[in-house]
Amino acid sequence: MLGQDFDMPLGDPNAGTLRVLFIDDEARILRALKALFRDLEVYTTTEPREAPALAVRHNVDVVVCDQRMPEVLGVDVLREIREKHPRAMRILLTGYSDLKAVLGSVNEGEVYRFVNKPWVNSELRSLVLEAGEISRESPAVATDQLSPNEQNIARSQVGVLVIEDDTTAQQRLREILQPHYQVRFANTAERALQVLEQHETGVVISETATNHGADLTLMLKALKQYHPHIATVVITERANAQTVIELINEGQVYRMLIKPIRMGSCRLSVDSALGRYWKLKQTPKSVRRYGVSPTAQTLQAQSKLPNSLLSRIRSLPARIFGGMRI
Amino acid sequence: MTVVLVILVLALAAAAGALYWRLRRAEAAKAQLQAEHQQTEVELKQLQSSQSQVIHTTKLASLGQMVAGVAHELNTPLGFVKSNVEVIGDLLDDYRKLVKDYDVAVQYCQQPVDLMFGADKESLDKLVKHVEESRRKLFDARRAVEKSPLLKEAKELLADSADGITQLASLVQNLKGFARVDRDGMDLMDVNEGLESALMIAAHQLRDRIKVVRRLDSVPRVRGMPSQLNQVFLNLITNASQAMEDEGTLTVATRANDGNVEISFTDTGCGIPDDVLPKIFDPFFTTKAPGEGTGLGLSIVHKIIKSHGGSIKVRTTPNRGSEFTVMLPVENAARTTLH
Repeated sequence: MLGQDFDMPLGDPNAGTLRVLFIDDEARILRALKALFRDLEVYTTTEPREAPALAVRHNVDVVVCDQRMPEVLGVDVLREIREKHPRAMRILLTGYSDLKAVLGSVNEGEVYRFVNKPWVNSELRSLVLEAGEISRESPAVATDQLSPNEQNIARSQVGVLVIEDDTTAQQRLREILQPHYQVRFANTAERALQVLEQHETGVVISETATNHGADLTLMLKALKQYHPHIATVVITERANAQTVIELINEGQVYRMLIKPIRMGSCRLSVDSALGRYWKLKQTPKSVRRYGVSPTAQTLQAQSKLPNSLLSRIRSLPARIFGGMRI
Repeated sequence: MTVVLVILVLALAAAAGALYWRLRRAEAAKAQLQAEHQQTEVELKQLQSSQSQVIHTTKLASLGQMVAGVAHELNTPLGFVKSNVEVIGDLLDDYRKLVKDYDVAVQYCQQPVDLMFGADKESLDKLVKHVEESRRKLFDARRAVEKSPLLKEAKELLADSADGITQLASLVQNLKGFARVDRDGMDLMDVNEGLESALMIAAHQLRDRIKVVRRLDSVPRVRGMPSQLNQVFLNLITNASQAMEDEGTLTVATRANDGNVEISFTDTGCGIPDDVLPKIFDPFFTTKAPGEGTGLGLSIVHKIIKSHGGSIKVRTTPNRGSEFTVMLPVENAARTTLH
């Protein structure tokens, strides 16, 4: 028998019941969740600062964390868990969501889903079970950072699509992105689809609505649903917490930027978005982790999209090695 | 003589001319003044309407803030109570299954009685085996029922739920107490109750960083509009919380003093600079960035306190903190007997 490293969890980490960590400063919430998930291996703590170490020690599959706690915010806890224990799927549970928290949860915490209190038991259960299954089956992308060589290849092969009809913003994005990426611009959803049909596109940068008030989020959600490897960066000035939450839950938006567009954060976001696409292209097993399965509401909302648009999104050419449908 | 007369007439005519000319000028000036007056009145009306709009917006903004805070306070107990109620149902179902298993075991035990009729040697051996088996089954099932944590868990969840419902009820009670929608107008009011409601509504902006110290004496009631005075309290609490950028302590104290009830709000915040201090109660004066504050908070506070026959004073030390003290006259004993 070989000696076993003490830090390693014993046995196969993927065997047995799912391991879930719940973090909330309210003990009664934790008891309720523990009872709701009594068939799983449940760990709980009212001390958010202990959470990252607990997540690592018990090799948990899923973390569910409250947003508002004394001393520390849920987003910050999830960011630390993402760094120390990246394989856990992260879910944020919140009583009231302000925009800053929601933006942080996308950009820093990369949360899988956002759940409002009071939650619906059956929905929370199926969400946690689904997340746990994904955590075990679908490895996390270790880093979105590409080597200089990979970056060159990626930038020459993969395009960046900007959906934006405001000429000032368009101009600004052209200045920032044109020197580094193959950027294509679209004013409408229609035009955007043409670009997607003709060119391999890894990153979609988009407003939430056109100047004429056409909602673009429906298309972004549909795009993510059928082509989960594409990384979406949403740029908006009229950010509303509810819209962003829906973009996370139904569209797994990769990054969220607030106008006016700043060069630094824009470049960083597009660079790592391209890296994410490239990494997913090489590890198709990871794709599911960053995807969305449509909810009843999504499907209902999608019926508002013109049929032709939806079927065109569905039948976009597969450019991912090893197939992309999941 | 005629020369003199002519000169006189000429002089008179000149004077009349001058007078006429001056009269015309005065009339023109009057007309202009009137026009200007009308213009000013229009502007005044516009200003008044925009002021009332700003006041309305201020109210809406604090309403929004209030709703956000209260929603958070309500959603936590709602979250676990709602979940528990459902889970308790599941636990009871699981428990019912255990009891059913026990019943099956009891049934099994009763079968030997049937077997005893017409028993031969072989059957009797079987019977002994069955009895042994039934004792084991009964014992196991009985133990499963006894050892089952299901009822204990259900009871714990019920206790939490009862707790949560009490908390929800007191939050709603506080909200009602704050808004006082049931009793508009003047009323005898316990300021300590009003302070508690205002602190509850401000809880979400305080709880993460600010320690609240209560020094509430039992004070006589004051006559006033509870909804307005509560707005004053909430405003002073919010100001104090905003004056403390990171962590700090807010001390809320009440005491009776010389026919007055004194309510003080002491923060450990940034204080108010000397050049700002004389202007803090002026309408539209604000140190906040454009769009962030209307500059009406303290002027409304001042107006409400004045209309209650009270007064407000400030003591402040830059970088150490401020203390706002509201003084409200105690309801006159002679007058209360009239009611």
